[in-house]
Amino acid sequence: MRDVSFEVHAAEFVAIVGPSGCGKSTILNMIGGLVAPSAGTLELDGRPVTGVPPKVGYVFQKDTVFPWRTVARNIGLGLEYRGVTGVERARRVREGIRLSGLEGFEDAFPATLSGGMRQRVALMRTLVVDPEILLMDEPFGALDTHTKLGLHAELLSLWEARHQTVVFVTHDLSEAITLADRVVVMTRRPGRIKLVYDVKLPRPRDVITLRETDEYAREYGQLWHALGEEFGASMSGHPRSEPGSRSPL
Amino acid sequence: MTERARVLVWRLAILVVLLAAWEWLTGLPAVSKLPGLYWLDPFFVSRPSTIVQRFVYLASRKVRLSIWAMALSTVQTTLAGFLVGVSTGFAAGLVLGRNDRLARVLEPYIIAFNSLPRIALVPLITMIFGFGLLAKIVLAWSIVFFIVFFNTFQGARTVDPDLIHSARFLGASERQIMRTVIVPSALAWTFASLTPSISFALIGVVVGEFLGGESGGGLGYLIIQSLGTLNAADMMVALVALGVIGIVMALGIKQIETRLLRWRPEYRKSV
Repeated sequence: MRDVSFEVHAAEFVAIVGPSGCGKSTILNMIGGLVAPSAGTLELDGRPVTGVPPKVGYVFQKDTVFPWRTVARNIGLGLEYRGVTGVERARRVREGIRLSGLEGFEDAFPATLSGGMRQRVALMRTLVVDPEILLMDEPFGALDTHTKLGLHAELLSLWEARHQTVVFVTHDLSEAITLADRVVVMTRRPGRIKLVYDVKLPRPRDVITLRETDEYAREYGQLWHALGEEFGASMSGHPRSEPGSRSPL
Repeated sequence: MTERARVLVWRLAILVVLLAAWEWLTGLPAVSKLPGLYWLDPFFVSRPSTIVQRFVYLASRKVRLSIWAMALSTVQTTLAGFLVGVSTGFAAGLVLGRNDRLARVLEPYIIAFNSLPRIALVPLITMIFGFGLLAKIVLAWSIVFFIVFFNTFQGARTVDPDLIHSARFLGASERQIMRTVIVPSALAWTFASLTPSISFALIGVVVGEFLGGESGGGLGYLIIQSLGTLNAADMMVALVALGVIGIVMALGIKQIETRLLRWRPEYRKSV
């Protein structure tokens, strides 16, 4: 990774797309304080990042729901760590379960849930402590298209309510356009910024009908053109998410 | 007949045939005269009917040290050695599993001590701790500790780093990470070591009882005393009792394990 420099504004939804191995995840890990940059600086609210900053939530691509805790106790984890107890914790956990549509699964162990439900638990577990900044590393990468669209809708409605600052890493261009205000396009290794693109789609967005609009097709076409040579034929998900194609729903 | 019932009937049939053969063959003096079969004699292997008689006698109030008292002593000592071994093994595994340098420094000592046959320590343990309860617990501990230690150590080392990162992003302190991520991860490994541990604790205790004499009693004492008096029936009573104790304790541990690991998919069916 080389010469990567960009700013993320408060309450902005930024997606980073690029071929695998270009350092997308590394950028996220640097913002999250998991990795220190070998050169250059990274500032949060004007202060350099050292260690895991507070107020930052991180949703991993990998399933990081604690398998030995029930859904409710997973969602309450961050509250438990912060010393929120009793009635207040129970109330916020209930609220989180309602928002994530997991009613009836409060006492289920993750092993009995589908991948989509587990990722919902992971997302809600992060949101329930109300982070100001949300880092997401291909959080829906392992899910099927159907489940993915459902979670896009959920994420957007949750985000409309709170307007956290989101940095969302993905290799799925349609996902980036659907969700983000701005798309940062990376080049192949060594990863540089190829393009920072403003997505000119109005909000609130409907993840299903959005894909059938001309505006979506136009944005997709422009971005696709700009980074065609970076992705080559390896662009994952491309044939299914071509502009104009009907959504599988 | 269901598959379950059929299996049960076969098991019972094998038991009945074996016991009947044992009873019948040891009742024919001609059999033990055959070359190589000298041991098929009540003197060496007793007979089921005699064993039952001896059991009734040993279970009665006519004896000074009843089979119940001996079994209780063995069970208590085994559980004590098991509990001490599990808790210290778990603690040590956790500490060394999360401290690479300490683990590297201590590695040769741990391997050396673990390679030593524990039975060889019996005389030394007896010299230090005497013939009583303590010596037997120490012996059981020295075996159980390493089984639990190695498993927990492995478990603590292989904790998924992304789970630790997740906890950190959710605001966990180092202590909270230990309590909510590392301990539960390692426990899954520790539990896997509990069933062998209880069996080895029983071995340790019985060997300790061989040497321990009448103080503390125990089924191992009954065995060694039966050897002294060439009483095969009493020895068989002790062996059967030890078998039953071993099975019951292993099943009990399995129950606890299933209950505590019910979050794992492979345990779900049996809950």
